[in-house]
Parts: sequence; structure tokens; C-alpha cells
Amino acid sequence: MPVAKLPIDGARFVQPPASPLVEATVDLVKQAVRKRLAESGMDWEQFALGGSDSLVTAEDMIGVEAAILASGHRFDWSASISASERPEAHKPADGVSDDGVGFSHPDAPSGEPDSDGKALRGVGDNVVRHKADVSGTALYVRSNERVLSLLTGGVPPGTIAIIDDSGGTLTAPIIDQFAGVICAGGTVRSHLGILTREYNIPCVMNAKVAGIREGDQVVIEASAEAKTTEDYQQGVERTARIWLMAESAA
Amino acid sequence: MNSRDLVLHAAAIKRHAPASAIAALAGVPLDQAQAQLDALVATGRAMETKGAYALTPLAGVALQARYAGHFGHLREDEGFRGAYEGFERINNTLKQIITDWQTLTVGGQKVANDHSDKAHDDAVIDRLGALHEQAEPILAKLASGLPRLRYYGDKLLAALEAAEDGDTEWVSDIRRDSYHTVWFELHEEVLRIMGRERQE
Repeated sequence: MPVAKLPIDGARFVQPPASPLVEATVDLVKQAVRKRLAESGMDWEQFALGGSDSLVTAEDMIGVEAAILASGHRFDWSASISASERPEAHKPADGVSDDGVGFSHPDAPSGEPDSDGKALRGVGDNVVRHKADVSGTALYVRSNERVLSLLTGGVPPGTIAIIDDSGGTLTAPIIDQFAGVICAGGTVRSHLGILTREYNIPCVMNAKVAGIREGDQVVIEASAEAKTTEDYQQGVERTARIWLMAESAA
Repeated sequence: MNSRDLVLHAAAIKRHAPASAIAALAGVPLDQAQAQLDALVATGRAMETKGAYALTPLAGVALQARYAGHFGHLREDEGFRGAYEGFERINNTLKQIITDWQTLTVGGQKVANDHSDKAHDDAVIDRLGALHEQAEPILAKLASGLPRLRYYGDKLLAALEAAEDGDTEWVSDIRRDSYHTVWFELHEEVLRIMGRERQE
């Protein structure tokens, strides 16, 4: 499909610059219109005067909002009914926080506290074997906003990041500040595995965890055998365990 | 792309980097890049911490939405698409090579490579050299579609040569433009050009 040119492609940015939200919205709408124009095969005038009302769909506009929300942006609200009717789209009244909601794997193993007070809450693939296990404070890092606030304010010492981005795209700027990483996706060969090995930070990939709340004290069995490429090929189960320390579970 | 979008694009690929690194990747003179970055920070498009810049989420969304306009012709180009697919194929080999660089098998266990076994390290660097030979025609094809991409081929070759000359930090050190650092950025670049998502 050829690239469609819109008559407003050359429009200059207004001064002073529009807000980032306006710029994102305009560019997302233009992206949707460009796609529909190219699909229609019409010239701009035909499209604008005849086709666009039906060819540019409500779903396209819902997609615009979805892309904005997917970035972690939440809209300001002037009436609290907005926030209560669509909490997923608006800033919460009590401040933004990533949490463990929705981060619960159905196959995560769990157990009662052992004699050391460690209760099993999950397993993952160890990217490399370390001499000792690592413990720290669980912190969910799943949005750009949280990464930016950690960039600005620094990562608290002893933080074990729980993330679901195996490419490390989101967390790369701060990854060296984590005491450990639990990643819900990927394999030991993923980019994140490469990064954490380079920084000598204990990390488990492909983790299945459940029942860990932000602020909990957790332990990663970094001393477990590392998973190898051959293990993946041959379907060998070789996992490191993830525990919750009992005293913080109360 | 205009210089504003080139700077935004380079900052997105670098994720958190000083102005000089962003300017070099963007191919924009440093003073111009710095002026663009200052304006981006002043208008909420970027954040600066410790002399390094990161885009804010909405700036990233807006940039992404403009890619189809910037790169649509490359997405339609048979040769460029073929080169991209070739890159994705050898990317798996690269990740295996870097993983093998970082690990040693001791007593049947994968442990962190302390680089005491020179034979192991030399063998991995040889494999990296062989991979680079495979990569060269792909890099050339990518750069013929978009000349700015020559930046990556030059950087990869420089890192490989430094590693082959014995300065092995150039294989995968994250704090420099090591082979793996540049490769990862090139992957990010081509994913953005093609409008694809990273698999892992």
C-alpha cells in the first residue's frame, strides 16, 4: 500500500508548542486517517468530502485513546465521576502507583513458610548461577511513568524489580540500580537476561509468581542452577524459586 | 525526518543518554541537537537527569504515530524488508553468542564468565567475527535504503575490531558502544522503521 500524504502533513507546530497530549492525539489521528486514505484509493478531496465519515471508524478513534493509555498516560478529570466510571483511563484520586494487580500467574507454585520463614511464591529461569541468593523489597515496574520517577528520584537500595518486559526496553535506564529482577516473560537469552548478566544482577526470566505485593520482602534463589539453551530445546524443567518472607506477609 | 524528529527518534532508541550520544545517532550537529533537547525538556517531551535525556511517554507515542509517514516507503520496499528479515534471523545467533560470552560451563554448570579461559573467549570472538561477515551485506542493504543507518555498521565494525585486538570490553559492556550495545540499538531502530514489536 502506498504511503498516503495528507494536506496537513507539512503543517508547522504551533508556537508556543501544543501540549504533549495534543501532539500525541493529533499524530495518532493522522496515522489512522493516513491508513484509511491509502486503503480507499481515493484522492484527498473524494476522501474528505465523500468517504471519510464512514471509512474512518469509531474503532480508529478508540484506538487513539488506547495508544495513549498504553503509554501509561492517565487523563486528568474535573468531575470525580470520570475517575469512578473509568478508573483505567483517569488519574486515581490517591496518586499513581504500579501494583501487583493482574500480575498473578495461574501456574505459580505456593507453599507454607519453611523453618526460615520463607514461603514459596513462584519460580523462574535463572539467567546465571550466583554464589548466594538475593533478598530485597518487591517493586512493580510496569509503566513509563514509574521508570521516569525512579530515574529522577533514584531506585531505593535493595529493590527487587518485578517486571513483564523481557526486552528491557522500559527498565534499561535504571536496571543497574536493582538488587534483583523477576521478569514474567522471555528466556535466559532475552535481551534483559544479557543486560542483567552484564551488570551481575540476579535475574529470573519466564517467572510465574503470585501473591507478592509491592513492598513485600522477597528472596530469589539466585544460587540455583542456570537454565541453558539445551534445557529449553529439550524441555528440561530447571527453575529457581522465589520466596516471600513470612514476617512481611502478615 | 526533520531535526526535531531525528532527535526524538535517537533519544527513543538511546532511552537515557547524553546529548552527544543522541546527536551522533541522529546525525544532527551537537548544538542543534542540544537546542532541540532543551526545547523538548521545556515543553514536557523529555526529562533530563544526570546529564542524560529520556523521552516522556506521550512524546514517544506521538513519535511512533509519525513513523508510518517517515518510513512507509521502506516498509513497502522489497529489498529493505528482506534485509530486515535477514537481520531478525541472525539476531538469534547474536543473542546466543553474547550469552556464551557471558557464561562458562564449569562442572556442567552455567556460571558467570570470569574471562580466565582465553581459549573460550577467543572462540566466542571468532564466532562474533563470523556473524559480522554475515551481517555486512544486510547492513549494506539497510543503509542503501536509509543512508543514516551507516552509523551502525561503522560502530559495529569498530567494536569488533577493538574486541579482536584484545580489548574484550567491546563485546558486551553496557557502558560503551560495545558490539552488543550497538546491535541492540540497531534492532530497536529497524523495529521502529518496520513498525514491529520486539519479541523478547
